Amino acid sequence: MDGHENEDVGFQHGSDGVLHCPSSGMSTNPLPEKVSGMAMSSVSMYKPSNGADPFFSSGWDPLVSLSHSENFGASSMVSHSEFSNPPYPVVMENQGVSSSFHLVQYPSSSTLIEPVPKLPCFGSGSFSEMVNSFGLPDCSQIANSGCPQNYASNKAGGGTGKTSTNTAQSQDDHQISGEGAIGSSPTAKRRKRAPDSNNSPFSPHQNAEGEVQKDLSGESSDVLKEPDEKKPKIEQNTGSNLRGKQTSKQAKDTSSGDGSKDNYIHVRARRGQATNSHSLAERVRREKISERMRLLQELVPGCNKITGKAVMLDEIINYVQSLQQQVEFLSMKLATVNPELNIDMEQILSKDIIHSRAGTGAILGFGPGMSSTHRYPHGIFQGSLPSIPAATPKFPSLPQTMLDNELHNLFQMGFDSCPVDNLGPNAGHLKPEL
Amino acid sequence: MATKGVTLNTNARKIRFARRFISILLKMRKTRSPCSSSSIEDVRKRSQRIKIAAYSSMAHAVGPRRAWSRAVLFKLRSRARHQSMMKRRSFGLQKKRVVVVKNNNDIIPSGQLSQADRLRQLVPGGKAMDMCSLLEETADYISCLATQVKVMQTIADHFSK
Repeated sequence: MDGHENEDVGFQHGSDGVLHCPSSGMSTNPLPEKVSGMAMSSVSMYKPSNGADPFFSSGWDPLVSLSHSENFGASSMVSHSEFSNPPYPVVMENQGVSSSFHLVQYPSSSTLIEPVPKLPCFGSGSFSEMVNSFGLPDCSQIANSGCPQNYASNKAGGGTGKTSTNTAQSQDDHQISGEGAIGSSPTAKRRKRAPDSNNSPFSPHQNAEGEVQKDLSGESSDVLKEPDEKKPKIEQNTGSNLRGKQTSKQAKDTSSGDGSKDNYIHVRARRGQATNSHSLAERVRREKISERMRLLQELVPGCNKITGKAVMLDEIINYVQSLQQQVEFLSMKLATVNPELNIDMEQILSKDIIHSRAGTGAILGFGPGMSSTHRYPHGIFQGSLPSIPAATPKFPSLPQTMLDNELHNLFQMGFDSCPVDNLGPNAGHLKPEL
Repeated sequence: MATKGVTLNTNARKIRFARRFISILLKMRKTRSPCSSSSIEDVRKRSQRIKIAAYSSMAHAVGPRRAWSRAVLFKLRSRARHQSMMKRRSFGLQKKRVVVVKNNNDIIPSGQLSQADRLRQLVPGGKAMDMCSLLEETADYISCLATQVKVMQTIADHFSK
């Protein structure tokens, strides 16, 4: 989980994750409907409304399980009714695009190309037959390799570029198959980011994918630009009318939605997770947690360089424990201090509290990586207590002087960390004592 | 790190906490026995009371907005209720009302507590929270603890000068 979270943080996805799962879910389901493609594109269009996270997470869950994406389209997507009956090639493109994501990403190998032509349905023109012929587990793999390949071969007459991409994708498909279930494939996609970045030959693919994923799923033309230029042109021609509306909106959405350099829209990536609504919620949850961890990183001093949930949690726990110990220590000190009842005390103290930044300095001195030293003064105090009964008459003074010394030491640490000017009234009486 | 809004918020909380805490301290000092010699037990009790006063005034300053402050306030109130009931009724009756909470989740499954469980133990009210809200409450709790320590430090320094 940590690994995934790191990847998530690296991706900097806000609501993207929410969108990714359902749309990928749509694609993985062997939906014979053309609407599936429509749904994907329409979903991707809605993606950037970041505020609509709960909407999506709640709206998507029933959708993922739906076999008819039309219902989804009708209920949630009001403005996309125009996409309800996309032409076949558009759907093909969508499917092809989804798989082409994998295509772009993966290295080439010639092995998977062979099994592809074996599938008879590829040659046929009916999309539904193609989809139906796939078993669900095969969908991600074969569709990746076969669909766009055949599509390419059908449309563009094949090209070296395509084969290279296909081979590229097939290699990774092998890896995917090696990993097993579909559920792993979207995670596999995520995991592969790391190895992809390491492999130089894949880097152009990865960059392409990164840029490709900037465009929404509807813009298959851009997606396929890197691997092959014939395909996108054809796709452009076929879906140009519908695409035009889509692309403009999607372009806007991508730019407004993410605002980051890598606007990945893993709408298609989550094919394997589609059936599992849990993974969708899990992704949202993980992103929330990473966001909170970032906030905590700012609160806890000295945690700027820490990456990793476990180490961060340790630091947080130590810091909370040290703060609680400090409260206990200070309450002990206040208990032993002889009361000097001044009615003006409240005013004086409120002034002190508002104006003094000595406390800040002290805390800063305490905080960064000094959790062990926190226990030190407290331990000393506890050590002093047993020795007290031997010197009862001196009791009021002994612990106090010890405490004062410790506090002065602690304050010295605070002094070091913050300028003296800030100390205000405390500076006057502390300096000569130091 | 703190935006203006956050700083104002923390300042307001700081002031509320300081006022409450100081008033409690003054009350305690007024009611303190005039005898100068104080045994360790007295000191311990007083420090315990001061600690509780600090946490309660912080929780009151934050208000019922936060889960952890609500948990602290609930604990305090149930504690007060329990104590008042103890005074009124006999101990025999009290024993029946004692509820023992077994922490089966914490130690039994693994030899060591998980990090999340440790954090849950530290943050008041954390046992009933999922990870996400736990982290949120931890952030708020840390900021409140920090202000608490600052104020108490200032007061202690003021008294020790």
